[in-house]
Amino acid sequence: MEIPARQSLPAMKKAPSQQGGQKGDPAFRLLVTATGVGVLVVLGAIIAVMVSGGWKAFSTFGPGFLVSAVWNPVTQHFGAAAPVFGTVISSALALLVAVPLAFGTAFWLTALAPPSAAAVIGMAVQLLAAVPSIIFGMWGFFVVVPVVAHYVQPAARQLLGHVPGLSALVAGAPFGTGLFTAALILAVMITPSITAVMRDVFLSMPTVLRESGYGLGATRWEVMRHVVLPWSRQGVVGGIVLGMGRAMGETMAVTFVIGDSNHIGWSLFAPANTIASLIALEFPESPAGSLKLAALMALGAILMAISFVTLWFSRWLLARGEQAAGR
Amino acid sequence: MSIEVPVKTAGMTQPDSAAAPKEAPHPVAMQVKGLNFYYGTSHALHDISLDFPERSVTGMIGPSGCGKSTLLRVLNRMYDLYPGQRATGEVIFDKQNILNSGVDLNVLRSRIGMVFQKPTPFPMSIYDNIAFGIRLHERVSRSEMDGRVEDALRRVALWPEVQDRLSASATALSGGQQQRLCIARTIAVRPEVILLDEPTSALDPVSTARIEELLDELKTEFTIAIVTHNMQQAARCADQVAFFYMGRLIEVDSTARMFTTPREQQTQDYITGRFG
Repeated sequence: MEIPARQSLPAMKKAPSQQGGQKGDPAFRLLVTATGVGVLVVLGAIIAVMVSGGWKAFSTFGPGFLVSAVWNPVTQHFGAAAPVFGTVISSALALLVAVPLAFGTAFWLTALAPPSAAAVIGMAVQLLAAVPSIIFGMWGFFVVVPVVAHYVQPAARQLLGHVPGLSALVAGAPFGTGLFTAALILAVMITPSITAVMRDVFLSMPTVLRESGYGLGATRWEVMRHVVLPWSRQGVVGGIVLGMGRAMGETMAVTFVIGDSNHIGWSLFAPANTIASLIALEFPESPAGSLKLAALMALGAILMAISFVTLWFSRWLLARGEQAAGR
Repeated sequence: MSIEVPVKTAGMTQPDSAAAPKEAPHPVAMQVKGLNFYYGTSHALHDISLDFPERSVTGMIGPSGCGKSTLLRVLNRMYDLYPGQRATGEVIFDKQNILNSGVDLNVLRSRIGMVFQKPTPFPMSIYDNIAFGIRLHERVSRSEMDGRVEDALRRVALWPEVQDRLSASATALSGGQQQRLCIARTIAVRPEVILLDEPTSALDPVSTARIEELLDELKTEFTIAIVTHNMQQAARCADQVAFFYMGRLIEVDSTARMFTTPREQQTQDYITGRFG
């Protein structure tokens, strides 16, 4: 028996409901395309302005701009090395403190804390992440700097001052300002945001996956280490990169406590500078067209480059990790 | 691996014993006595008493929210992860009440494995999914681990499909394969009891049939408790069936009697599809 071909089928393909919305479709399409392209345009414009604004510095000093630690407006000699060093070291130290703290807090909040405590503290973490940086700057200047000057650095000198190789880390007069204090403030600032991101990715994991781990007889730590962390790796690294980005770009809080000294040294307690705080401090005194302004713009371009490289590096790390896991 | 089967049956010595085991009384592997369960203030299980015979399949049926999954989560103390959930009464396993606070939950859960409704492969390779559970409880050499992983995968009939890609991610497998992997992962730890919570509800009919076949083999070695919404599945797989309704155990009997001559009207109504 042959089944006759159904003639009506092609005609049914256009559902009536689709035709009503088709007028608005091209307009909406144009709108979202424009916003998408707009992102590219803005990014390109920022890079163009920073590089062209800093071009005078790049061309005057050449590659030496990157390695010179001299910053002398009187002799018109400018180098980027000191603020770059300060930016990288203070951010790295801040991450060193913040990541374990954030991970521990997120682990506790999601796996161990009683629900009522988790709710209250989870809320407090998010509020802390929303505190404006100027508040941290004032707190750093009025509270942390004196404490570091009077207690922390003297104690550190007692402890490490006579250890060969490590004594340089604690050398210098106890000003209280410097890399250590800046890193500490930065750590306090970025820990809540990293914690919030980590907590959210841990919570977004399907409950059954977690229970499967427990179902095999795994402890809470084993489930965290072998099930939750691999599952949420992307989000965790994202949170850390976000924190690092904030630390490197942070201006106000750091400017209060960094000590404003363009100097590269071993001591964690010596005054230093970061790119962002140097720009903030020197910008008002840089006339248009001056070499100094060009140098500051060039520093801005370098800061952006550092951020992009870190972002790219973290993506590369993730991709490599996924390949290793066979995905 | 040799399996000792200490089944005490009177018919064992007789020549026609092949037909006997179906009715042979298995010793009890797990015994629930006067169990009550609470989610906070809500009373979810009322005075449940139920025996799980060794090396046989106990099917648990009933409409949604009747407490069958809750009972399953009591049997390996999974509820313990959540504050506010508590159980009273007794669950005797290996001469011990596992509801006691002194019980080592990690050991308990290695002896009472669980398979979930949806496949839950860990975000790691196929090999590591199996090895993970073994590593939690034992230190084994690389070659022994290879053997254990292969053995577990063979017993769920997954080995031929994955032997060339053991280092590939488990999340790339199909749903049915993932669920068999999860069963393999569970038996690799060598538990005594396996709890299955609607293990085929997310699978296609072919994968479902394979899992059901698998249960038939696994029950020669493990005590199995399976929660299912599918009456045919209970009829096909279970040796005894327990019917739950609104947090109460209404009736428990051998599968044959349950589906032909249930004692309670509610059971009759449910299995004939009048509600549920």
